[in-house]
Amino acid sequence: MPVSNPAEPADRGATIRCAGVTKTYGQGNAAVQALRGVDLEIRTGELLMLEGPSGCGKTTLLSVLAGLMERDGGACTVFDQDYQQLSALETTRFRARHIGFVFQAFNLIPALTAAENAATPLLINGHKRREAIDQAGVVLREMGFDDRMLRARPAELSGGQQQRVAIARALVHQPRLIVCDEPTSALDKESGRKIMELLRQFARGKDRVLIVVTHDERIFQFADRIARMEDGRITRIEAAGGLPPRLAG
Amino acid sequence: MIFIALRMLLGDRLKYGGLLFGITFTSFLVAFAASYFGGMMTRSFALITENSRADVWVMDPAVAAVEPNFNLAAAALNRVRSVTGVQSAMPLLLATTDARFPNGRFQSFQVIGVDDATLTGLPPLQGNATPAALRAPDAIMVDPGGTDGKLETPIRPADQWPAGNQPHLDVPTRELAPGDELLVNDTRVRVAGRADALPRFPPRPLLFTTYSTAQRILPPERRRLTFVLVQAAPGVAPRDLAARIESVTGLRARSAADFKSDTVNWMIENSEDTGDAITMLSIALLVGFGVTGVMMFMFTHENLKFYAVLNAMGATARMLLIMIFAQAGLCALIGAGLGLGLCALGGYFFGAYHFPFRMMWFAPVLGGAAVVLISMAAAAFSVGPILKMRPASFLAGR
Repeated sequence: MPVSNPAEPADRGATIRCAGVTKTYGQGNAAVQALRGVDLEIRTGELLMLEGPSGCGKTTLLSVLAGLMERDGGACTVFDQDYQQLSALETTRFRARHIGFVFQAFNLIPALTAAENAATPLLINGHKRREAIDQAGVVLREMGFDDRMLRARPAELSGGQQQRVAIARALVHQPRLIVCDEPTSALDKESGRKIMELLRQFARGKDRVLIVVTHDERIFQFADRIARMEDGRITRIEAAGGLPPRLAG
Repeated sequence: MIFIALRMLLGDRLKYGGLLFGITFTSFLVAFAASYFGGMMTRSFALITENSRADVWVMDPAVAAVEPNFNLAAAALNRVRSVTGVQSAMPLLLATTDARFPNGRFQSFQVIGVDDATLTGLPPLQGNATPAALRAPDAIMVDPGGTDGKLETPIRPADQWPAGNQPHLDVPTRELAPGDELLVNDTRVRVAGRADALPRFPPRPLLFTTYSTAQRILPPERRRLTFVLVQAAPGVAPRDLAARIESVTGLRARSAADFKSDTVNWMIENSEDTGDAITMLSIALLVGFGVTGVMMFMFTHENLKFYAVLNAMGATARMLLIMIFAQAGLCALIGAGLGLGLCALGGYFFGAYHFPFRMMWFAPVLGGAAVVLISMAAAAFSVGPILKMRPASFLAGR
């Protein structure tokens, strides 16, 4: 696939397509096949949840889709870009422009305020500091943050508030793909529900794809589709939360 | 991104303090060692500085510095005076002698014999002493020459020149003053005043007298003329005159500036203190790098997760390297400033105690260069984990 400008996907209406994706860790007797031929299509506007037992390959698949890890085999395009056709630098720049991350452990930088943490992707994309922090402040205010909370450091915020900052950080640069790794696992039921409502409210959009890796059955109701993984394969995809059945599977 | 890097650094007070300490320590020690060395070198040519009216110094061809030296034949003075372009030429005698104090204690002095007629070579004097007082028979002027407590004479008359030559060493003393006497080679010399000479390196008390008195009180030697101090005629360049004197007399002649350089070069090549200064600099660099490198590595390693997160979010390797070097750069800037400031402050206090401290241009340059070297080396030492990390491992928990 020709790569003219990796920062700009060729077709904004394109989806994520994976066919026969494989990934193996280690070599020889120590080799562990994490992905054993994953086939998956995700359309824009969708919130897809990946669920399955520990070690089934969910996070590996997420890493491959986010361009954090190279696949060993198969084909995979994200907004018509095949990471394997891009250089490492181009892949990194693609992530900066088009992918937002919500990590399991929030991974907020302790020395930065909430607004500064949320502004990080904009700073990475070369925005001016003041402008980036103001823009992050707007997003955080929409999520219920006041001035004092904007200036608070992560240690001064509750788990739910920290995860909101993490979500704001994933959204602030308006990426087209948002990947969330166990976003509610460190939160209680109520906070988890609120976070998922926020994600659905702010992250889901008609030209945006949201992929959530989770063990948490309590949040399945927020998904459009749920893909079940077992032993490195997607064994079942089912509709959830009101998507038309044709999209399921 | 530099903003994030600096906030990360300043947020970890302990590591930041450790980094600053390492860099400040290095900067201080390197600048201090360089200033101390500069002070020693400056003092090594104090005699030349003191005789600022001498444009050219003439000496034995084998002499390469103020010290050590080898005396000239007395006739050299007139040979130099005969060279075209010489306005005046004065003799200067250098020697070392032991002088006995009234209580029997003895002390080594450098004897500086100056021209009887013009007293050229006599430094400024303290108090009401006049240079002419040196023309009195067996008159001397004394100066500590960078030492402390070596010009002490007994207070009580009973402790002075005791009968039977039994020394009275542990008696109350005071500083030598005009009117006091010393014994030099069985000749009593009288202190006519105290000089205000520049401190010497190596430090030792100085005894100024006239050329003729010096010849009389020192043990007889065929050659007593150490240097001929030449004043150039108006319009004659010292370096040209020096070359002319060399070609006419066969003696070594150097302009004052060149002779200072010769002395410093000789000291650098031959003095044990050069090795000591290099050792001090090496220790400063090693300790500085040890502390800074370990702190920087620990800081980077502990923040590796956040660098991985930034990398996952699209920060390129170049951005992350800039972050690391910005952190090292900030520490270098502040540490260098603190270290050099401390060095200047230390010099101010040490200078009051006659330490040979002189913060010349190369001291902050060396201190700054050492800081740049160790902070950049520490940063380079720390970037390894950044370049090797796999951001996916933080997502996958592997």
